[in-house]
Amino acid sequence: MDKITNTRCVVTGLGMISAIGNNVDECFANALAGKTGIDKVASVDTTDCYANLGAEVHCDTLDEIDEAKDVDRVSKLCLKASKEALDDAGLVIDESNAGRVGVVMGSCVGGVVSVENYVTKGEHAEDINKMTIASIANHVANMAGAKGVVTNVGNACAASTISIAYACELIRAGVADAFIVGGADAFASVPFSGFLALHALSEQACSPFNHSNGITLGEGSGAIIVESYEHAKKRNAKIYCDVLSAGISSDAHHITAPRPDGLGQMYAIREAIEKSGIEPKDVAYVNAHGTGTAKNDEAEFLSLHTIFDETNPDLSVSSTKAMVGHCLGAAGAIEAVFAIKALTENKIPPTIGYSEEDIEALGEKAGTFDFMPNTMKEKDLHYVMSNSFAFGGSNASIIFSKEPGNVKETENDEKVYITGLGIVSPLGNGVANYIDKVNAQTKPEAASVHANVGKEDYDKYGLKMAFYRKLDKFSLMQVISGLEALQEAGIEVTEENAEELGMIVGTGDGPLTTVYEFQEHISENGTTAGSAFNFPNTVYNAAGGYLSIKTGMRGYNVTVTNGAQSGMSSLCYAYNEIKQNRGKAMLATGTDENSEVMEKLYAKLGKVAGDVKQAYAGGDGFVLADGSTSIALENETYAASHNAKKYAEVCGYAMTHEGVAYGDVAGTEKGLMNAIVDAAAMAGITLDQIDAVYGFANGADEVDTLERHVYEEIFAGKVPVHQVRDYTGEGRAASSALSVAHAALTLSGDLATRQNAYYVTTEEVTKEVVDTSAYKYVLATSCAIGGSYAAVILKKVA
Amino acid sequence: MNEKELEIAENIKGMLSKNLRIPEEELDYEVPLFGDGIGLDSVDSLEIIACIDSAYGVAMTGVAKEHFYNIESLTKYVVANM
Repeated sequence: MDKITNTRCVVTGLGMISAIGNNVDECFANALAGKTGIDKVASVDTTDCYANLGAEVHCDTLDEIDEAKDVDRVSKLCLKASKEALDDAGLVIDESNAGRVGVVMGSCVGGVVSVENYVTKGEHAEDINKMTIASIANHVANMAGAKGVVTNVGNACAASTISIAYACELIRAGVADAFIVGGADAFASVPFSGFLALHALSEQACSPFNHSNGITLGEGSGAIIVESYEHAKKRNAKIYCDVLSAGISSDAHHITAPRPDGLGQMYAIREAIEKSGIEPKDVAYVNAHGTGTAKNDEAEFLSLHTIFDETNPDLSVSSTKAMVGHCLGAAGAIEAVFAIKALTENKIPPTIGYSEEDIEALGEKAGTFDFMPNTMKEKDLHYVMSNSFAFGGSNASIIFSKEPGNVKETENDEKVYITGLGIVSPLGNGVANYIDKVNAQTKPEAASVHANVGKEDYDKYGLKMAFYRKLDKFSLMQVISGLEALQEAGIEVTEENAEELGMIVGTGDGPLTTVYEFQEHISENGTTAGSAFNFPNTVYNAAGGYLSIKTGMRGYNVTVTNGAQSGMSSLCYAYNEIKQNRGKAMLATGTDENSEVMEKLYAKLGKVAGDVKQAYAGGDGFVLADGSTSIALENETYAASHNAKKYAEVCGYAMTHEGVAYGDVAGTEKGLMNAIVDAAAMAGITLDQIDAVYGFANGADEVDTLERHVYEEIFAGKVPVHQVRDYTGEGRAASSALSVAHAALTLSGDLATRQNAYYVTTEEVTKEVVDTSAYKYVLATSCAIGGSYAAVILKKVA
Repeated sequence: MNEKELEIAENIKGMLSKNLRIPEEELDYEVPLFGDGIGLDSVDSLEIIACIDSAYGVAMTGVAKEHFYNIESLTKYVVANM
């Protein structure tokens, strides 16, 4: 039965930095005044480029943070906005509430400035941990002292709208009271060169809904403090507005272009309106995605007219990108802050850049809507919407309101089962192969091992050359494991169920290999030499986008990224979506790549072992590996409707953070302890009911020692610990998801009942062969550098 | 195709294979590159234009579709405009 979960989520703090200001007030005043932040680009070499404009941030206090040298520009922007939002909210985070405060940040290209620095300035090791998106939320969590759910969303230009939505979902699920959410992206040569190669940059300042001849890139960050109304009220916080609901969908159409029929966008917009408990006529202002490309603007015109024409002729729409440029992963958060300020001050910022003739021409396209050319206006606003659409076919819409609204969020009491698995690993591909290799106790063959995908896989899943040649290895592994999990679960995607089937992709390093190679190529050959073919694969959600294109899954589709634990936090995320009725089946995945580039970077950090090694072997390095694990989760009703096999029941999860310098793990034991205790509590079991642990030891002392301390503390050396990395090596997110898959295959009896296990204390490690047949509740744990943890409890299906 | 054309065609084939990850065995000089043939799309055409510009200094932006039909037609366009 469904229970209403319409906990009010309110906004209590705002922060922003963009090309038109270093704080919210400055940015909003300049936006209302129609002041442009677009100028000739200074931070990227634009020699011979047909376009040379950008909206760069000018701020000389970005380095006024601890250890600025260890932080990429993207995180500096995010820290600046987050600090402003925290101060604005007056939210004090201390030991009493830290575990109930989280951070979710969105980004498209993450620390790509550090990739450029590494490539062009002598390959310094200190740049490596700054390269990915993962570090952003870690820096913010550490600055703020937050110890709840800490992660990042990597859905390109829709990332930070999704980050706000996810935070509200978690508050409504009761796992947190408050979040610092938002997103950031820094101006960098990779996106500039990539959009240049796609001929998507405008020669003049971008002109959304007007000339629509391309985007102008920007940079910046937006940050929002979202908390439950009760929490805000209790501490007498100033409340800006409510966050009602959001709609998130996938186009399943093309990796860069939106669906011309606007289907995915319209689903997201309608879902946001419906779940918010309002009607299209109630939305008074839309802060549009409005990039200024012909394809975006055409599709968005179509979506807006289709949904609002009939009942909402007075709708106001503007694109603040005309002033701040397209800030990619930060766009959603920056535009959310603009939308919230518009709502609370009843002042709508304009879209600038219209001549008299342009305004006349706009008339036809705009119909009765006011697209706000050049001049702001005052309007009584009650409900406003912000749209974000992205590469990978990702769509997100969110609604902010002055009224509590009539939010129609619900939670079901159905059980959630693992019904299908897909495995790509250095042991080979396929679940059956994995079972055989584990039963034969196969070990990695070298200190750096690789999964392989090829013709056999393409033929098996009917992948045509025109499709698979577009994908890099990161995406290929994800598509193959995802297709296997769907096939195994017996889930058939149809026109009727496509929007109820979603996926959460988890990755630690994302497409860093493709990003690095793209950077290397343009650093050698110039900004004009970027590859239009490779650029779409530099976004973290490309893998999920391709899987959605191949399968036709049009539902919730998010890529989360915070280190190796992302392959397990994706499962926590997907579980929550099913519980909150945003999908009846979801894929939860973990994917990470090993390549020459990754091997070079991990070796430079001293993380790659000299030889094959097993858990608890001691020393610094691990066996570097890769792969992709996909896990199909379904609610009880849907699983029963097609007689799905139930490998195990997912009955509890937790995600925690105990921050240390990004790159380290030592000293974060408490994070793992909390994750285990919280997951057991959610499952409604006591810790002594846990029959076995599926851990994350990889042979590197720093990780293994921490795990031993915690397991000794909780299990006193009496519970067997299984380690999948003994078979596959350290595949980061792929291995975290594989821990869950391995546990499920054990509970289902698909793996041999006699398996290797460790009994660990701080003093001693013993390895034994144990009988797994009586396991009822098992725990899977995972960890990320920086101190983030995820834990999941699985139960045997009777 | 004459010897010079064959050399250029072979070079274009190599670029298509390397930069667009089309398996060499799928490519000959006649196979249609777009539509039902190899199945290239508009993003691929941008890559082809960039490659040909960089290798031969021949600008193909805005050039009629038929010149992109196959490797042979690309080659002929390059030779005529070098």
